[in-house]
Amino acid sequence: MEPMLRIENLCKSFPGVKALDNMSFDLYPGEVHILAGENGAGKSTLSKCILGYVRPDGGHMFLDGKEIAFASPKDSLACGIAAVYQELTMVPWLNAAENIFFNREPVYGKTGIVRTGKMISDARTILSDLGSHDIDVTVPVRKLGIAKQQMVEIARALSMDPRLIIFDEPTSALSEKDTEALFAKIHDLKKKGAGIIYISHRMKEYDRIGDRITVMRDGKYICTGRVSDFSGEELIHHMVGRKTVRIYSRREEKAASRTESDQHRKTEGPAPAEIKEVLKVENLCDKKGRVKNCSLSLRSGEIAGIAGLVGSGRTELARLLFGIDKAGSGKVLLHGEDITGCSPGKLVRKGIGLLPEDRKEQGLALRASLAWNVTSAGLHKAFPGHILDRRTEKKLSEDYMEDLNIAARDTEVRALNMSGGNQQKLVLAKWLLADTDVIIFDEPTRGIDVQAKREIYAHMAQLAASGKAILLISSELSELIGMCDRIYVMREGAISGELSGEELSEEKIGEMMFGVGV
Amino acid sequence: MTTVFTLDNIITVLRQTSILFLLSQGLTVVILTGNIDFSVGPLAALCGCICAQMIVHGFPAGLGIVSALMTGAAFGLTNGLLVGKLKLPSFVATYGMSMVASGLATIVMNGGVIYGLPADLTALGAGTVGILPVPVIVTGITFAFLYAVLKKTSFGRCVYLTGLNQSAARYSGINSLMTILAAYLLSGLFGAAGGVVMTARLNAADAGMTEAYGLKIIAAVVVGGSSLLGGEGGVERTFLGALVLTVISNIMNIAGIASEWQNLVFGVIILLIGGLDYSRHHRS
Repeated sequence: MEPMLRIENLCKSFPGVKALDNMSFDLYPGEVHILAGENGAGKSTLSKCILGYVRPDGGHMFLDGKEIAFASPKDSLACGIAAVYQELTMVPWLNAAENIFFNREPVYGKTGIVRTGKMISDARTILSDLGSHDIDVTVPVRKLGIAKQQMVEIARALSMDPRLIIFDEPTSALSEKDTEALFAKIHDLKKKGAGIIYISHRMKEYDRIGDRITVMRDGKYICTGRVSDFSGEELIHHMVGRKTVRIYSRREEKAASRTESDQHRKTEGPAPAEIKEVLKVENLCDKKGRVKNCSLSLRSGEIAGIAGLVGSGRTELARLLFGIDKAGSGKVLLHGEDITGCSPGKLVRKGIGLLPEDRKEQGLALRASLAWNVTSAGLHKAFPGHILDRRTEKKLSEDYMEDLNIAARDTEVRALNMSGGNQQKLVLAKWLLADTDVIIFDEPTRGIDVQAKREIYAHMAQLAASGKAILLISSELSELIGMCDRIYVMREGAISGELSGEELSEEKIGEMMFGVGV
Repeated sequence: MTTVFTLDNIITVLRQTSILFLLSQGLTVVILTGNIDFSVGPLAALCGCICAQMIVHGFPAGLGIVSALMTGAAFGLTNGLLVGKLKLPSFVATYGMSMVASGLATIVMNGGVIYGLPADLTALGAGTVGILPVPVIVTGITFAFLYAVLKKTSFGRCVYLTGLNQSAARYSGINSLMTILAAYLLSGLFGAAGGVVMTARLNAADAGMTEAYGLKIIAAVVVGGSSLLGGEGGVERTFLGALVLTVISNIMNIAGIASEWQNLVFGVIILLIGGLDYSRHHRS
């Protein structure tokens, strides 16, 4: 039998990353082919190429043996390819029927007038076919709740009567019952000869619906085989791989400096910094169910990590701790004081800082100067009397430029005109000035060059050594293992485990992230 | 040429500029936070009317002025809550509030006009200290105050940072609700002050007395070069903007250009300056 879709040596680069590197893949009619890999492995880029959202730089794609080169999603739709995305792509204030038939509304003849009645009854038919009889197709979808919205999203893809469907994490918001209904539907589609590409982090689902599985890592093809031929451990091993270079190892640095200071201590005997619990989080939940019963503790002088897939609730937890979102229940204690429900402004003064994951939107005011950004979180430290002083500000900024090796013409340069690495160091500078006891780093090295990474790692290590308590959130396991004393692993909003010392390995963390063997 | 720049002429121009500048000073703070306030003009009229009514009904001028300022503060805080707390688009919130203000002004005046106010009040508009008209002094003092607050205090910096990137400001621990509230409070207070000074200057009050200013209050800020995106500019620029608009108006009056044509000229000037601002931002 001929594969319906064949992909050969597909390549796609974005500035700074090779998202697809000679990727090959094929899909037969009547098959569910699972695509697995870590975040950033290239699964989404591959599906975007198939759908025509992204144009590959090199390689070939064949549909029914004929080479295809889609210019836009319209072309892929015309060939019978549809997709269900993890992020909802509906118009929130339109109802389910309008969303399902968006831009394909049934009309009276050529008048262009929409046949609302038919649209609504058709929408009902499709949804009840999916077991969702209870969805009101006439209310705006934003009022439906996330699980029902996801079903509408699925209904939309199915209503196009596609012969090739890509499902990207369709079940992350679904209940057990809806998941069952979806799997039954996928089974029907298979029988009708449709080809299905199924992307999911839930390994339990692989056995249930998958025929074959392909693992990707760093944009590359790793292996393909029948789902039943792989064990969970094997799959994790393929997905995580052996990370080659660890660009910074705090433990090795510490070991090196310890022997030095041991000799030092004999002569001068500086007292080792007293280690105490700084931050304690008890059963913290948010209001949207994205953070569930998280408990953790953070001591002075240590770096604790949070590992987890994108969407596991890591960033949401950080936002709760920094007061951006309000907690639903649970407690946060700083130095034993209950600080649950405090605003970010209060928390900064009490001693919590956050380097947010999106430095351009959340970390910096890009249109403002370097100097203004440096003092933005520490105005109360730089100007305790609330009166600004240009000279103090300039001096502070120049000091941080030197300490953190920030490359900029002068302190008046707009943050906009700085490189990613320098921008990230600028965000760090502003939190060094704020001088908080707890500093949360959310993806501090995403998209920056190796040199800047190494510098940021060194500063984090130095901060910990000076007695700060640091929480590092990262998608890069090698970064976490290189930097952290302990690592909490998050999965589906909850902390699924804690690892330290010799337990810290990519495989171990990977298993907990994906929920295997627990 | 020499006759234009006499001290007398300069003082006259400053006096003519003062009310417009007073009205647009507080608004500047709102625009710096990245929001807008359409209610300043109608609010000024309402406050002027309240002040005049109080005085006509036998209350002392001081109490009239305080009532006007309190009305301005109340409107400002309401605007601030609507925009900062309830997250209404500032266009909608303040346009709605401007209708409320002008409606209230009509009710307060009962459709009439008040003439002949006591000297305690009119001194505020027509009096002089030495050679300086009182409105120029009032405007000068508030200008100095606001300039210092915006450029020299942490609060002022929070205003700018909120306008530059509200999300980043929040992630820096800046309380953007308080900042926006304070900005609208200032806008309301300055609107009230402008209304009182105008009533004193005209020696009269009626519900539609600020209509001639219309959107010129916003135009003064924009022509001065403060960005409607927020975070860039300042009251010193608004001073230039108000001055330019006043001088252009003077020139057109002297040249005998009809008022319909004057609006057209203003329109073109605002388009040109707005266009320059836009292209400046999209080059960087």
